[in-house]
Amino acid sequence: MVDLSDIAEKTVRHVTKQGASDCDVVVTDSWSISAEIEKGSMKQASHVSDPGVGVRAFVGGCSGFASCAGFDRARIRSAAERALALARSGTPDPDFKGLPAKERPTKAEGLFERRLQDVLPEDAVAMAIELAESAAGDRRIYSVNAGVSVGVGQIALANSNGFSACQKMTAFEVGAEAVAKSGQKMFSGVDVGGSRRFDRKLLSSVGSEAKEHALMGLSQCKVATGDYPVVLDPLAVGFLFEGAIGGGLNAESVQRKRSYMAGKLGQKVGSEELTVLDDPTLRWANGSYSFDGEGIPAKRRTLLDRGTLKSYLHDSYTAGKDSIRSTGNSSRGKSLWTFRRPPAISSSNLVIKRGDASVEEMCRESRNGIYLRLTFDYPNLATGELSGLMMESFRIEKGELGPSIRQSTIGISLLEMYSRIDLVGKDSRDAFGVRAPAMRISSARIGGSR
Amino acid sequence: MEDIAQVAIDHAMKLGAEFVDLRMESARGTNIVVMDGRTKTLNALTEAGCGLRAFVGGAWGFAATNTLNAFSAKAAAASATKMAKAAQAKAKVKFKIRHAPAVRVREEYACKERPSDVSTEAKLRYVLGQDKMMRDLDPRISSTNTRYDDIEADRIVANSFGTMSRTREIWLISACSAWSSSQGIVQRGHAACGSVGGYELMRGDEAQSIGEKATQMALRLLDSKPPSAGKFTCILDNKMTGLLAHEAFGHACEADGVLAGASVLEGKVGKKVAQREVSLIDDPTIRNTFGYFSIDWEGVKSRKHVLIEDGVLKGYMHNLETSSRMGLPPNGSARAQAYNSPPIIRMSNTYIGPGDWKKEELFEDLKYGLLIQGGQYGYVEPAKGQFMFKCDEAYEIRNGEIGQRFRDASLSGVILDVLNNVDALGNDFVLGDPGYCGKGGQDARTTDGGPHLRVKNVVVGGLT
Repeated sequence: MVDLSDIAEKTVRHVTKQGASDCDVVVTDSWSISAEIEKGSMKQASHVSDPGVGVRAFVGGCSGFASCAGFDRARIRSAAERALALARSGTPDPDFKGLPAKERPTKAEGLFERRLQDVLPEDAVAMAIELAESAAGDRRIYSVNAGVSVGVGQIALANSNGFSACQKMTAFEVGAEAVAKSGQKMFSGVDVGGSRRFDRKLLSSVGSEAKEHALMGLSQCKVATGDYPVVLDPLAVGFLFEGAIGGGLNAESVQRKRSYMAGKLGQKVGSEELTVLDDPTLRWANGSYSFDGEGIPAKRRTLLDRGTLKSYLHDSYTAGKDSIRSTGNSSRGKSLWTFRRPPAISSSNLVIKRGDASVEEMCRESRNGIYLRLTFDYPNLATGELSGLMMESFRIEKGELGPSIRQSTIGISLLEMYSRIDLVGKDSRDAFGVRAPAMRISSARIGGSR
Repeated sequence: MEDIAQVAIDHAMKLGAEFVDLRMESARGTNIVVMDGRTKTLNALTEAGCGLRAFVGGAWGFAATNTLNAFSAKAAAASATKMAKAAQAKAKVKFKIRHAPAVRVREEYACKERPSDVSTEAKLRYVLGQDKMMRDLDPRISSTNTRYDDIEADRIVANSFGTMSRTREIWLISACSAWSSSQGIVQRGHAACGSVGGYELMRGDEAQSIGEKATQMALRLLDSKPPSAGKFTCILDNKMTGLLAHEAFGHACEADGVLAGASVLEGKVGKKVAQREVSLIDDPTIRNTFGYFSIDWEGVKSRKHVLIEDGVLKGYMHNLETSSRMGLPPNGSARAQAYNSPPIIRMSNTYIGPGDWKKEELFEDLKYGLLIQGGQYGYVEPAKGQFMFKCDEAYEIRNGEIGQRFRDASLSGVILDVLNNVDALGNDFVLGDPGYCGKGGQDARTTDGGPHLRVKNVVVGGLT
C-alpha cells in the first residue's frame, strides 16, 4: 500500500531544502471504469488507472510546476527538480504572499462511497444498459447513445507550511442522448447527471429526460426576432451560471479588470430573487471536498445575496494580493482531482437558492414566451454579454409548452439577465457544477429565423 | 518500446481478443503563461504510458497504464480484454474489424530547432516580449495574457494486423490576449500562431506579430456595438468560413456519429447537400499546419478526404471500425488526445475550397448584410442538425460599403440548409487558423480555412 501523504510530505521537504521558499505537492491515486452504449448496443468498456504526483515550487513569488505519472522515486525527484528550476527561471512576483497556513480540513460528509469503489466492469455495463433502456421504449426513438462512468480517487496534499491531509473521493457520472425520428424530422434530447455516490434514480431520470425531450423536439417551429420572456430550465441555468458566475467572480479576472464583475463588490447586480452560494460541503455533490487544492478547509460562502454581490472566488495568490483570506476556491479538478496541472481558481458547487414557483406557473405567467432547455454558449466575461444559440428550446404558447424552436439565438447582458429574474423554481437539480432551479427572465432578445 | 508493445498485443490475443491495438507514448513539453508582464505558470510536462484496446465480437475494451514496462503493458492487455468481454456479453450489434494492411513506418516531423533544445529562458523571453509589446503599444491596454505550449511526443501505434508505426511528433502554439479599457468599456482581442514543426516557428514573422494583432483587435472593439438580432446575408472571412466548414458540416461527416444514428447526414452520401460550387475537404496531409499527421492513431496512413464535391456529399471520415462496418477502406481519421484515451474520429485541416469571385465582388451587389470576421468558438449537435459559431468582430454592409463595427455576433444555422444558402465563394483561399477541437472529452489540434464566402438567411444573435 503506497502512503500518499508520505510521498507528498517528503517531496515538499526535498523541494524546500533545495531552495524553494514555498512548495505544495499533490499525490493522486485514481482510477475509473466506464461503459458506453452506441445506438442501443453495448459498445465499449474502459478501465483507466492514473496515479501521479504534481509539484509546485515557488522562488521569489514565481511558481514552477512539474508532474510525473506513477510513484517512482526517481521520477518524483526529477519532477521536483524541474519545478524548482522553472520557478527560478521566471519573473519575481511580489504579489505572492505565501501558501495557506496549516489548518484542519473540514469534516465534509458525502465525498466517498465504498459501493462505488467496489464496482466491477460488469456492474458498469449493467448500469449503462439500464440507463439506455430508460431512454428507449418508444417506436420513434431511433437511437440511444449513453455512458456511465465511475471514478475513485485518493488524494494527498502537503505544503511547506506544514499542511498535510488526505481525502478520498468517488464520482458517478451518467449521460444520455436519445435521437427521435418521424418522417423527415429528427431531433435529439440529451441529459446528464452526477453524484459522489451511486444513484439509481439518475439512471432512470437522465434516460427518460433525454427521451422525453427528443420526442418533444419532433414538433418544430420558427420564431420571429423579438423580445420574449424566457424560462430557463435548470440545465440551461447550470451551464450559463457556471460560466457567468463561476467565471465572472474569479478574483484573478476581477483583479486584472477582465471581468464584468470587477468593482461591483457590495453592489446590487441582480434581482432580489437571486441568491447564489459556493458550497464545497454539499453532501454527495461532485464538486465537494474537505480541503481545496491548496489545503484551505471547505466552507460554504454566499456570493450573491438577494442580488447583492458579496464575495469573489479566491485562491491564496489573489487573496494575498487583496490582503484577505482565501475563500478556498483553488481547484485541482471537479469530480476527481488531477496531478497534471497546477491549481486554478474555480467554483466548487454553485447553489442557487430556490424560490416558490413551479415550471408550470412560470410558463403560465409568461403566456407568449420561450423555454430554453439547453445552450452550450459562453458569455463574454469582459463585456458581460451573452449571445448564443438556443440549442434546445421550446415555444411557450398561451402559457403551455409548445413545439421546439429551430435556429434561434438568445442575446442579453448578464447584469440585465440577473436583474430580470422575477421567478425562481421551487425544485432544483445538479447540472454542470450548479445546484440549479428553473428561472424566469422577464425579457431577453431572441433572434429568430421566421 | 516495440518489444513491450508486441508482448502486450500477443497477451491480449492469447486471452481471447479478436483484434488488439495500442498506443504507447512518451512525451515532454513546456507550458508558459505570462499575465501582465509576470510569469503566472511555468509547467514542464512529461508523460509516458500505454493505452490498449481489445475487440471481441462487436465490443471494445480499453485500459491504460502510465507505467511503461512489459509487466504493466500485459496487465493493461488483460484488463482491456476483460473489459471487452464484459461489454461483448451484452452487445446487441455484432461485427468484425476487417483486416487492414500492416503499416510499418517511422516518421519524424520536420523540425529545424527542437523545442527541447531551446532553453526555458529563451522561450520565456519570447512570451514576455509579446506580452510587453501589447502593453507598450497603447495605454488603453489594461491587461495582457500570453501563452506558449510545445510538445515532443514519441508514439508507437501497433496492432494485431502487424502494424508497428512510430511517430516523433513535434508541435507548438502561442497565443496572445489583450484587454483594452476606455470610459468604462472593456474589450478583448486575441491572436494565435501554431503548427507542427520546431521552434523556428516562434522566430518567424507570424509568431512575432500575434501580440500586435491581439492589441489592434482589442482597440478596434472599443467602439463596437453588440449586433442586432435577426436573419441576415453574411460575408464570412477566411477564418469564419473555416469555422463554418468545421462546425456546420465537418462534425456531421464523422462516421462514428453516423453509425450512432446521431447525424443528419446519415443516408445522404451521393445526395446534393450544398450549392454546386461548394467543396468541403478535410486533409491531414498538408505539411506545416497545426492539423497535420501522416499516420493516424490506429496506424492507418492519413489521406485527403473530399467530403463534398460539386455540392454532393461524397463520404465520411472513418476509423477501422466504421470502415469495417460500412464496407469501405479506412481513411485514417482516428486520433486520441493521449495514450490514456481511446482513438475516435476527428477532423484535421478542414476547409471549403475556393470559388471564382473576387473578394470585392462579394460586397458589390449586397444591399444590406454583415461582414463576419475572426472565429472565437463554435459547437454543433449533428443529431439536432443545428450549429453555432461566434465571431470576434462584425461590420454592417450597406450597398457594398462597410459601416458600423459590431462585436461577439453568434451565428446559427441548420446543417442541411446552410451550404445550400451559399451564393458566392471568393477566390482568396487561406488555411491557417490553428486551434483545438473538443469531442468526447478529448482535444485534437486542428486548422480551419477557406475563402471569403457569402451565405443567405443566417440567424445572428444580438442584444438589440
